[in-house]
Parts: sequence; C-alpha cells; structure tokens
Amino acid sequence: MRTSIRKSPVIFPSAVVLLVLSLAGSAYAHHGFVSWFDMSRSITVKGTVTSFDWTNPHSYIYFDVKDDKGAVQKWSAELGAVAMLARAGWRKDTLKPGDEITLIGNPAKDAKPLMHLDKIVLANGQELATAL
Amino acid sequence: MRNFLILSAMAVAATLAPSRAALAQEATKPGAPPDLSGVWLVEKFQPRLFPSGGAPFTPWAETKFKATDLQTNDPNLACLPMGVPRFMIAVPYPMEILQMPTRIVIIHEGPQVMRQVYMNRQHPKDLDPSYSGDAIGKWEGDTLVVDTIGFNDKTWLDGGGLPHSEALHVVERIRRVDHDTLVDDITVEDPMAYTKPLTNRQVYKLKPGWEIQEYVCEENNKYSYQAK
Repeated sequence: MRTSIRKSPVIFPSAVVLLVLSLAGSAYAHHGFVSWFDMSRSITVKGTVTSFDWTNPHSYIYFDVKDDKGAVQKWSAELGAVAMLARAGWRKDTLKPGDEITLIGNPAKDAKPLMHLDKIVLANGQELATAL
Repeated sequence: MRNFLILSAMAVAATLAPSRAALAQEATKPGAPPDLSGVWLVEKFQPRLFPSGGAPFTPWAETKFKATDLQTNDPNLACLPMGVPRFMIAVPYPMEILQMPTRIVIIHEGPQVMRQVYMNRQHPKDLDPSYSGDAIGKWEGDTLVVDTIGFNDKTWLDGGGLPHSEALHVVERIRRVDHDTLVDDITVEDPMAYTKPLTNRQVYKLKPGWEIQEYVCEENNKYSYQAK
C-alpha cells in the first residue's frame, strides 16, 4: 500500500536550517522532484537518523531535528534509486539509527520538513553525494 | 509484464554472446556498422525536452497540456512506462545497448523497459498501440536511424507534461561520435498535437564496468497517481 509522507503539518525549524540560494539544483531529478522541491534553493539540516529506507524507486532517510528550544521535529530526505546510490558509494548500511548527520539538499516547496538530498556528511566527516 | 520484460531481456543477453563475438569480427571489416554496445548514461538529465510554454500545440494538445499536473497525473507517478522519447532523454539511469545484426535491444535500468529495434523488417500493419511503440532501424553510414510508431497515448513526451496522440512518430539518429560518447538526435512528429516537428538532442556517456541493476519502481513508491 502506498502511503504519503507529505501530509503532516510542519513548522520550519529556522534555528537549525540554513537556507542558501543556489543555482546548482540536482542533476538527478525523478518522479516529479521538480514539482515537489524547490531545486533553485539549497538548505543544510543537521539531525539524528531514525531509519533508512534502502529502496526503489527512491531511498529515504528519516531523521529527527531539534529546534533551538529542544523540540524534535520529524524530517525525511528523499534520495535516488538504490543502484545509482551504490555507484556513488552508498551502501544499505551507510546509515543506522542514532547517527548524527548533516544533509544538504533542496527544500520542499510547501515548507514541510522534507528535502531532496544532494549530499550528506556522516558523523565521521565522510561526504557522500547522491549523484555521479 | 515487468517480470516478463526482464526475463526476456536476460534471454536476449544470454543469446548475444556469440553474436557479439561475431559482431566484433564484423566491426573490423571496412563498411561494417559501428558497434553501439555498452552501458550508457545521459550526460545531462533533461526533465523537459521541449519548451513547455512555447510548444507549437494544436488546440487539442493545448487543452490536454493545461490539464497536466506534475504532482498528480504524471503517468510515471504510477510507475508506468515512460514511453518514447521520454525514456531516452529524461531518465537519470543507465541503459545498455545490445547489438545484433538483425536487432538492437535497449534495456533501461530505471523504467526496467526493454526496447527492441528491428533491423530487418518494416512496421507491421494494424499495430496495437503500446507504450514503447514499434521500432525499426537502418544504418545510414555510421548513423543508426530508428523509426518508431504504434504508440498509445498514455505517456508524456517529457517530464513537463507534453502530451501526444497515437499518431506520434519518432525518428532518432543515433551516432557514436567517439568511443565514450553517443548522440541521439530526436525528431517528434504528431500532427494531432503539434503544428510542426519538435527536435531535441541527448548525449550519453559510456560507463565501462557498469551493469544494469534491478529497479522495482513499485517497491516503495510514495507518490500518488490521481488521474488517468
């Protein structure tokens, strides 16, 4: 059964999200990314992994973000397909619950806590892109 | 259907080993067609092939285009095949070309679609409309000319929602301009939808060592398709 992750109301945690104008966008958009995400802007979000869907057609990172008052907000990041991620160095066990990560990508157009991921910085400092 | 396509592609690949060897010998002969075999990836992903706002729509197509909604009625949201030319240009996943003298097979990783180009026959009459259509090919010097008709009207030309009718006719001129580069010059004709032909070019880069992987779009598709 298909479920939607796009319907939970959200308050944008401004204290932990850095908005940066960018023309880079993503070379690898699919499944209507351009209609859901603002590919002209880049955001950086720090969070803690709660789960990682290593799946097709897209993979997803679910993570918690704390705002400046300590309140936790549930976020998710959308990635590409498994095979392309593997070619870019990702593995199914790249992320595990509890990992502290920094995500760089494009925000949802409707300001919900969703993003299209371009790059991640792992807890050990390793960077992984989502596109080749 | 998808499993059938994948199994069919595997069967084709299994039968290609002697053919590829023979082709390699043939390719050394003067006048032999170039070998397009290999795994290729688009150099630049093009979600929109043609100018979405300025396309030379007929009134019929303009009405359909105004009804498109990328968040609800893109057929790709339902993991349906993208059709031609969309999956030749607007797919950020690799394709493998398997080349035989009488048939060229293109296996797309993303859509998991096998496209067959028949080199030794004409289009059948009374084609049953399909997502990939009926493709026939011929060599013009070093250029593979692929002529495809017989489409259904359930796909878009691109990721921007350009519609087409069953009268869609796509001609592709595919050349391996150097060892690592493949160019596909695409011309789209559809008199029911457009008042003049649309053209586009896609460039692919060879990906040595890559193998086409499994991609099951229905596995964890969170997008919702809300229209026919």
